[in-house]
Amino acid sequence: MVDGRKPRPAFAPWDRRALPGLFDVEESARRVGAYAWLEMRLFEALGGWIATVPELDVKLVLGRHCYHHAWHAEQLQQRLPELREMNPARLTLPANEGIVAFAEALIEPEAAEQTIEKLVGVFRVLLPRTIAAYTYHLNGTSTITDAPTIRTLNFLLQDEFEDWREGEMLLQSLIKTPEQIERASNRAKSLEALIVVAGGIAGAGTLGEEVNESENKSEAVPE
Amino acid sequence: MKRFLPVEELARDERFIRSDLAEGFADPRNGRVRDRTISTARLQPDRAAAPDRARSLMHGIFVGEIQALEAAGRTTFDFDDADAPFALKLDMARQCWDESRHVEISVKLGEHMGTEIGEYTEATFLYEAACVTDPAMRLAGVNRALEGLAIDVFNTMKDFGEASGDPVLQFCEDWMLADEVTHVKMGSDWLRRLTERDPERRERALEFQRAVDKLFSLGGFRGETDESPIQIARRFRELAGFDTKEIDEIAGLAAESIAETRALLGKTG
Repeated sequence: MVDGRKPRPAFAPWDRRALPGLFDVEESARRVGAYAWLEMRLFEALGGWIATVPELDVKLVLGRHCYHHAWHAEQLQQRLPELREMNPARLTLPANEGIVAFAEALIEPEAAEQTIEKLVGVFRVLLPRTIAAYTYHLNGTSTITDAPTIRTLNFLLQDEFEDWREGEMLLQSLIKTPEQIERASNRAKSLEALIVVAGGIAGAGTLGEEVNESENKSEAVPE
Repeated sequence: MKRFLPVEELARDERFIRSDLAEGFADPRNGRVRDRTISTARLQPDRAAAPDRARSLMHGIFVGEIQALEAAGRTTFDFDDADAPFALKLDMARQCWDESRHVEISVKLGEHMGTEIGEYTEATFLYEAACVTDPAMRLAGVNRALEGLAIDVFNTMKDFGEASGDPVLQFCEDWMLADEVTHVKMGSDWLRRLTERDPERRERALEFQRAVDKLFSLGGFRGETDESPIQIARRFRELAGFDTKEIDEIAGLAAESIAETRALLGKTG
């Protein structure tokens, strides 16, 4: 019979969680707010595009993904009051002006002939960046003190991986000619340039690079 | 991408052919066909025309669901946060997912019933109701009037599935009916919240809803007698938050429309 009164360690031998983390409360909140802002712009764009794409299968996927990203924004905003921001809207902000420019460029295509441009922006540029940033956050933050953020990000990442895969498969089914290959590459190149200038979805230091104070300000897009 | 996409710019593949709903309603031959009083207008499996009518109605549901998806999507994009708060857009995003599933269900049901995409034409009335620039009016027209109509249509189709011994049709329509009740409730809830301090705006929105409701009662398309193929689903409308007075009003519109059609028939026939 197990003696329940015998003292046991608080952490089982296999539980390797540790207190130290890369982010204090303010930095974790700033990043969460930046993610929420971008998830909002994304679900609005996906919703708006549904009526503009003639491909029925793409239309239906956009409808499904639109809700995923709206739900992500809601989950992230719900975390903000727990990170000392009682008014989530106040911290639901773009990381810098560069990310605003990126979001505007992402949303810009409208014509029915631009399905490739719409999908490349989301599935070949933005989602790989959100996956990278969320992964960096959950790998870097304190596994004990910031565990609720980690849990939220893990839920989001499950959608992001599945949605990225679905979007990439749609793109592979749509890109068939040299002209379409070029359109896809050009679109990825122009958006990649903007997000590189922004430093990633959370601004400079998104993936832990060294950051100067001035780097999260607006900068010109390089030629 | 611009805000407020006009109906002419809705993107479709080459299978879709548009038709004008008003022209169909105005065609006096339809009135004469209805006036033959050979039997009930309800969908009944023992009638020879029932399979064709059910397939046509299913195609109508399919294109309606596409437009409902597009309309909910546009509501997430067309308005800034001051006009449409995030919580409203979140509900509309959820509706996008629901409508996506409804399109998928309708495509599969259409195949199950022996039709295919593009066999019938597409009228774009639902999306047109979503082109209004006041979100309160949009919610009244789309979520209360048209999603309310969807409750009536799905319940009629569910009953047809049951009467014709088609458990697949009955099962799917019942699931879609559950979603539509939610969408109508969303519309009622947001209409109340958006117009809380502006009774005139609420009245304008409700007026728009009545106009849309009247359009779909034209010629007795939807009503409570044997003359209407689509029956008003009182129980499900109550679940969705309509009160008895509102449902009576819709039933009254139907009776009025049948009388107007008869009068028109008298003049043209």
